[in-house]
Amino acid sequence: MAFTLELDHVTKAFDEFVAVDNLSFNIAEGEIFGLLGPNGAGKTSSIRMMIGIMVPDRGAVRVFGEPMTRRLLDRVGYLPEERGLYKKMKIMENLVFFAQLKGIGVAEANRRAHRWLERLELGNRSNARIEELSKGMQQKVQFIAAVIHEPDFMILDEPFSGLDPASSLVLKDALLDLKKQGKTILFSTHRMDTVERLCDSICLVNHGRSVLLGGLREIKASYGRSSVQLEYEGELPLLGDPSLVASSNDFGNYVELRLAPGADPQHLLEVAMRSAKIRKFEVVEPSLEEIFIDVVGSTRAVISHA
Amino acid sequence: MRKILLIIRREYIVRVRTKAFVIFTMLMPLLVGVVVVLPSKLLMMQSGGTKHIVIVAADGTLANAMKSELSASSASVDDEAVPADRKKPGKPEFDVSVRTAPTEALRQQLTTQVRDGKLDGFAWIEADAVSTRRAIYYSRNAGDFIEASLVSRALRFALSERQLADHGFSAAETKSLLGPVALDSVHIDRQGANQSNGLGAVFLPYLLLAAIYATVLIYGLYVMRSVIEEKSSRVVEVLLGSVTPMQLMSGKIIGVGAVGLTQIGIWAAASAILGTGSIAMAHRVVGENMKDAHISTASLMLFPVFFILGYATYACLYAAIGAIVNSDEEAQQLQFPVTLPLVLCMVFAAAIIRDPNTPLAFWLSMFPLTSPIIMYVRVAVSMPPVWQIATSVAISLASLYGLVWLTSRIYRVGILMYGKRPTLAEILKWIRYA
Repeated sequence: MAFTLELDHVTKAFDEFVAVDNLSFNIAEGEIFGLLGPNGAGKTSSIRMMIGIMVPDRGAVRVFGEPMTRRLLDRVGYLPEERGLYKKMKIMENLVFFAQLKGIGVAEANRRAHRWLERLELGNRSNARIEELSKGMQQKVQFIAAVIHEPDFMILDEPFSGLDPASSLVLKDALLDLKKQGKTILFSTHRMDTVERLCDSICLVNHGRSVLLGGLREIKASYGRSSVQLEYEGELPLLGDPSLVASSNDFGNYVELRLAPGADPQHLLEVAMRSAKIRKFEVVEPSLEEIFIDVVGSTRAVISHA
Repeated sequence: MRKILLIIRREYIVRVRTKAFVIFTMLMPLLVGVVVVLPSKLLMMQSGGTKHIVIVAADGTLANAMKSELSASSASVDDEAVPADRKKPGKPEFDVSVRTAPTEALRQQLTTQVRDGKLDGFAWIEADAVSTRRAIYYSRNAGDFIEASLVSRALRFALSERQLADHGFSAAETKSLLGPVALDSVHIDRQGANQSNGLGAVFLPYLLLAAIYATVLIYGLYVMRSVIEEKSSRVVEVLLGSVTPMQLMSGKIIGVGAVGLTQIGIWAAASAILGTGSIAMAHRVVGENMKDAHISTASLMLFPVFFILGYATYACLYAAIGAIVNSDEEAQQLQFPVTLPLVLCMVFAAAIIRDPNTPLAFWLSMFPLTSPIIMYVRVAVSMPPVWQIATSVAISLASLYGLVWLTSRIYRVGILMYGKRPTLAEILKWIRYA
């Protein structure tokens, strides 16, 4: 299998603080890969090493099978988490400038920019300055800037942040199209729900280390049908019972929980019915968020940055 | 290289098309014009206009001699070297009438007229004035020394003329004796004798000093602001996915510098077109001393050289500051130590223009942070030996090389660091990062 990206025992430290600690993973050509973890987990530093902004202290980064060099960057697109556009310049000027930096001619850049703006429903705003746009619109422009040179490998850091549901849908379709064209996409996010629907493989990082790595399907399967989703009215004191529940994420009238090893879901239902009215009870594969909580071992890591 | 060109082009276009650039480009010559013209206008308003005065003397010949001398007097007060036919603003014109019947009633009448503002003043010359060489000048404004001294000079002229005539000199001889002398001062520098002098030699270097100081400072600060803007808008993050920090920094510095050179070019072209007029204006205002003042070809040719050296030096430093800070406010505290040598240049400039060859001037024109400004001032005043210019430029280039190396390392790390402003120790650590 050909890999678009290979991180090989990569370590990066700033003074005492180890941002990325012996991190290894590969991204196969044509897949959508999720790099997950709370802020400060080392995602941004990892990405910066993938695009050569930073050099690892130890380990190697290979892109398209070659050791990372700046020459390869023309084939890589990068959408940073924070919007980075020239506010005083018009949309088209921004897009053409960034396309040119990637080696695209002006005419071609113009053509592609117009096509993308149409597709993302910004066609009538192409002469607006960035500062006149809403955050969601800026995010779309930022996305176009990352893909306008038709890179083979796209690194998208929180691409859906700031988008309303309709825009998210448009963007998701665009991403799936790119995947169909054989492009490789790396997602960096802490929003597990989007990843769950889009990604083929994931890497969970925490404190700079990889804590979970592999195909999304395999990971979920390995956890088995050990999760329960409950819709309820009333109280569920059983959530505090370690003989039944390993971990839980309670929303007040809905709870996702992982069964304790050896616990019987039927027994859990019985106990639950004693204290609350149960509207829905389902034994499922765990959600990514549950897995994350389970692996990281604390809910705080997730919630603190959500 | 293609990427640097793209960075340069963006930086250039974005800046040149701003209103700020257009306004500053047009306003500067206007401002210089105002600074040059305004003082003379003010002077005109103060003592200008036509002065109505009366000369009262029993001796009509004496009074008329004074009158004709006053009417002709528009030359400078103490400088008899200047021919009287060169008129200039700031010196009053006189409308003189002569009365030859000195009575106490007339004195009362004229005093009333002066008090009421109908008359500017009157000179009272007694019959024995030729021997006492004494007279009285009545005027509302005793502080107007120009007026008083012109009257006094006219009297001295008239009395001398009378005495010379009494000693048997002919009118022609008298005229020749009392006529002006011409004193041309010759300024000697290493290139040989140069027909130039005092005021002009001070005025023009100051103008050039102000120009190079202002452009270096303003365009240096533009670089800093541009870095801060890219950093705070996070554009830098996207850019670094395509270009190296070094490409970004050098593209930015060159782009902004090109804007500076464009502006200087426009000013130079404008002054070449308007030059004749404005130089003539300057002559009239500053005085006849300006008549031989000129900007040497060398100081014109070297302006871009020293601008580029000075600008590049400070642009590097300001770029590093921009990379360290998160906002314009933070930058203001940090930019002071960097701006200090520039300000010191201005402080020392007065002494250096007076005497461009002191050891202080020499060493300041060799020290990298002050050399572009100070060496240029020395060039503008009087051409220093070529070896000194060459050494200064060489030191500048060498230090610039080191500076680019140093600041690009600060820049490279700094532009990706947000939040707390780093300490000096942290910045030193950045420089050592691989």
